[in-house]
Order: sequence, then C-alpha cells, then structure tokens
Amino acid sequence: MTIGTSGSSTAVEGAAAPESSFEPIRLTPDEAAALARGAGLEELGVRPGLTGYVREVWGYRHLVWHLSSAQAWATNQNNYLGQLWAVLNPLLLVGSYYLIFGLLLKTRGGTSNYIAFLTIGIFVFGYSASAIIAGSRAVVGQVGLVRALRFPRAVLPISVTLTQFLVNVPAFAVLMVMIPLTGEPFSPHWLLFPVALVLQSLINLGLAFFLARLVNAARDSANLVPVGVRLARYVSGVFFSIPHYAGHGLLSALLLYQPLAVSMTTAREALMDQYPLTWGSWVAAALWGVVLCASGLVFFWRGEGRYGSN
Amino acid sequence: MGATDVAADRATPSVVCSGLDIVYTVFGAKQKGTDTGGELPLVERLLARRNPVSSVRKVHAVKDVSFVVNHGEAVGIIGRNGSGKSTLLRAIAGLMPPTNGRVWAAGRPSLLGVNAVLLTGLTGAKNVMIGGLALGLTPAQVRERYAAIVDFSGIGDFVDLPMSAYSSGMGARLRFAISTAAAPDILMIDEALATGDAEFQARSRDRIAEIRREASTVFLVSHSNAAIRDSCDRVLWMEQGRLVMDGPTDEVVRAYEQSHRKATA
Repeated sequence: MTIGTSGSSTAVEGAAAPESSFEPIRLTPDEAAALARGAGLEELGVRPGLTGYVREVWGYRHLVWHLSSAQAWATNQNNYLGQLWAVLNPLLLVGSYYLIFGLLLKTRGGTSNYIAFLTIGIFVFGYSASAIIAGSRAVVGQVGLVRALRFPRAVLPISVTLTQFLVNVPAFAVLMVMIPLTGEPFSPHWLLFPVALVLQSLINLGLAFFLARLVNAARDSANLVPVGVRLARYVSGVFFSIPHYAGHGLLSALLLYQPLAVSMTTAREALMDQYPLTWGSWVAAALWGVVLCASGLVFFWRGEGRYGSN
Repeated sequence: MGATDVAADRATPSVVCSGLDIVYTVFGAKQKGTDTGGELPLVERLLARRNPVSSVRKVHAVKDVSFVVNHGEAVGIIGRNGSGKSTLLRAIAGLMPPTNGRVWAAGRPSLLGVNAVLLTGLTGAKNVMIGGLALGLTPAQVRERYAAIVDFSGIGDFVDLPMSAYSSGMGARLRFAISTAAAPDILMIDEALATGDAEFQARSRDRIAEIRREASTVFLVSHSNAAIRDSCDRVLWMEQGRLVMDGPTDEVVRAYEQSHRKATA
C-alpha cells in the first residue's frame, strides 16, 4: 500500500500536467444519483419489483429451455453407453432395493403389487432427490455463469429443476413400460400420471428456490441437503406403505402429507389398481406445489442482487 | 477532442460509479497462523490459529471508487495484479453486487473476460446459443448470427465438440465472438486481447473499434500498456483497491510506468 501510493505521488509530481486534473473525482451520493437520473441510467445490483422480476424471468424462457436441455443431454455424455445410463441406472436401483427391502427385510406389508409400488417410489422420489440436491447448488454451482452473464438468477433454479425433469424422462418411460409388466391392469387413470409429475415439479421447484438462496447465503448448508434427502428417503414411503407401518394417527398423517410423500401417493393412485384416486392427496399435492413455488419465488427474489457476491 | 466535444460528452454519462466498495468472501483460504505453525509445539500451534475451523476470509477488493464515464469513451483500467481491476469491472457489469456505494449504467453492460466460464461440458454450438440468449438475443437472432459468430471465432469444426476439448486460445476466441455478437451498449474486456494469435488480436481490435463507433462505451483491463495506448483515450489506475489516478491515457500510463520503475529500482 505505502509503496504504491508514495510511488504514484512522486510520479505525478514528475509529470508535466498539474496533479489536480488527474485526481479521481469526488462525488457525493446525491450528486451521483442526480447525474445518473439526468442521463436516464439504470442502477445495477438492485432488485426489481416482484412483477417486473417475473416478467424478466419470462423474457428469459428460451435461455431456461436451452440451458436445461443442453445440460440434461450432457449429463450422461461422459460414458461409452451415454444416454443408455438414464435407463440403466434406475433399473439397477430397483433391482438392488428389491433385493434388500423386498427379499431380505420384507417391507412389502400392505401392498398387493410390491414391485410396482417400489418402482414408482424409487423413480418418483429419485426425481425429487436429484432436483433438490441439484437445486440447492443452482447458484453456487454455477458461479462462473453468474459472474459472466447478467440475467435474473431465478433462471438457475428453474433450469436446474427442468434439467432434472428431462434427465428423469427416460426413467418415467421405463416406469410406464414396467407397470403393465408387473400385472397392473390398463386404466384411464394412467393419464393422470403426467399431472402428478407436473405437481411434483412445482414442489421441487419451490424447494429449489428456497435451498438455492439458503446455500448461497450460508454455503455450509449445502452439506446438510444430502443428509436431509437421505432421511426423507427413509420416512417418505419409498419402499414401504406408511399407513401399514405407522397406523392412522397424527404421525401417519404428517408422514403421508409432507410434500415428498404426497408426490409418490398421487403417482401410485394414478398408476396402481390398489390405490383408488382420493381428493385428499391430489389437493394436497396441488396446494404444496402452488404454495411452495410462489413462496419460494418470493424468497429467492428477495435475495436477488446478492447472488454471486461470494 | 475539443472543449465543446468534452462538454457535450459530459452531458451524457453512460456509467456513474459512486463510493463503490466490494468485499467478497473467499472459501478455502489458508489461515496466517498455519504458515508458522510448523515450528511450534502442538498446543501452541492450535492456539495460534485465531479461527481453527473456518478457512473463510473477507477480501476488500475495491475501496471507495468513484468515476463518471461518458458515451463513446474507451477507458483502460491498469494496475498491478490483485489491485481490484477485474472486480471493479465485474461490479460495473452488474455481476457483483456492491457492498457499499452505487453504480448506474446505460443499457446492457456485457463483460468479456478470459476467465468468464461458459459451460465447459457443452459444445461450442450450444454455448453460442446459451451465451446469446443470456445476452438478451432471441433464438432467431442467435441462429441468424450463428455463422458469423463461429466464423469470427475461427474455431471451425471444433464448434461441435465440448468446450473442455478446446485450447485456452480457442475458448477465449469463442467467448469474444459471443460477447460481441449482441452489440452491447457497454463492452467490458478483461485481458481478452492478450490471448489468441496476432491475426485474431488484429481482428478483435477492429471489432472493438467498430463497437466504439456505435457510440457505445468500452472498458479494457489489460497488463499490456501497448494495448491500452492503442485502444483507450482515458485510463483509470487502480492500486490496492483504490483509484489513484483518472486521466488521459498518455499521462496516466506514463505515471504508472514511472512508479513501476521506482518500485523495482
């Protein structure tokens, strides 16, 4: 510090022109604001109003799509089998879970078609798990992009959620092939499966909004997210029927109607004969989706202007 | 430039920066105590660390910087490594939020840096699309300019390979081509001219001159005083996060070079 400034002052004295003309200008905040207003300039690093923000994000919808589809495709590009892994991975997972929970631990109580029950659980929960983990790192994982290009940062959690949806599309296709093979009769209710996925995506997006801002503000919390997801995997009824093991009391209701479990319930009601459609789970899924998504967007928007600062 | 021109320019600032402070957090920084720790016994070594768990440090990269830049000006930013030049550039591009102070800018600033990572796992072609969209172009506009962008970058067939397979020069050229495709109102260049071969450097100088003619503002961070003299008519000199001099290129660069000689002598 001292070396630099003393060097500069002697240098200026040695120059022909008077020192004062090269001094940085002194601007009071009010003068600067008045000058900027007069020139019609836009202030940087401030957050726009909520409706303006939503409109801005909508303006970047093409970016969301291209970012998501390109990254989804790149996910499995580093292997020789490439995109085949998008199908192989969930199948291998179903095989290992069936071995552990179906054959060794026998948690099939209360289910008439355990393979269908387990497969739906694994594939549907797998989408939420990957979306939550990737969503929590949506901002901190792409600091390069954040520091290089200016766009509303809500694009990142949205694009990460969409990426994970696209990555899981082959798994859902496998699911639709497997369900009739496990002996489920064809039903028009199957058409509700995409609706269940849309509601689930809204839930995932809402959680991604919350977690992306939290992890950006307190980076260490990123380490807790996988722990939370693992915990959720064991209490959300991925491989066992919650009412069969937890009864019908308050605890069971809490376990059944938390957002991740509700996503699996709606999917099973759409695809499995054993579970008739119930208003309760679909309304719960829709409410969770809308409430989480809206509150998550507001929460994320309130942090806009701080993303990329560390 | 005559006195009247200067007065006319003064009336239309394109960037106003007032009392700007940037403090950012670095993770994984090494604590001072650990450097000398090897000579001390274990207990003292542990006590010597003020904060044994965390390896987080705050860096005050830009301190109370104010300036006004007008339309059509090309401004060089010089200073030693770590003097806060790149951070200042990021802040006036709207990419790093100010800790204190405020920044205003006209239109859309676009930062072009060799460090600006695009998505290395994706192909050059996908990066052209994503970069163009992020700069505010429509998909149709990007497709329309796609051939020109790839042509200008001169990377040829490599455009269909992932960017992780590119040499650093190729990556920098593609980034330059993408960043200048959108004809930004304010173009900021971070050391980009230092990369690429002589022919590409000449072409990028032409492109920058072209953007300047469109009445935009150009910021250039460079360690090459020749490049600064070539392209800039005004220079900001940064030292330890502070702006120490702001004036015409010749005078400021000369003063900077003299201070450099004094420091090394």
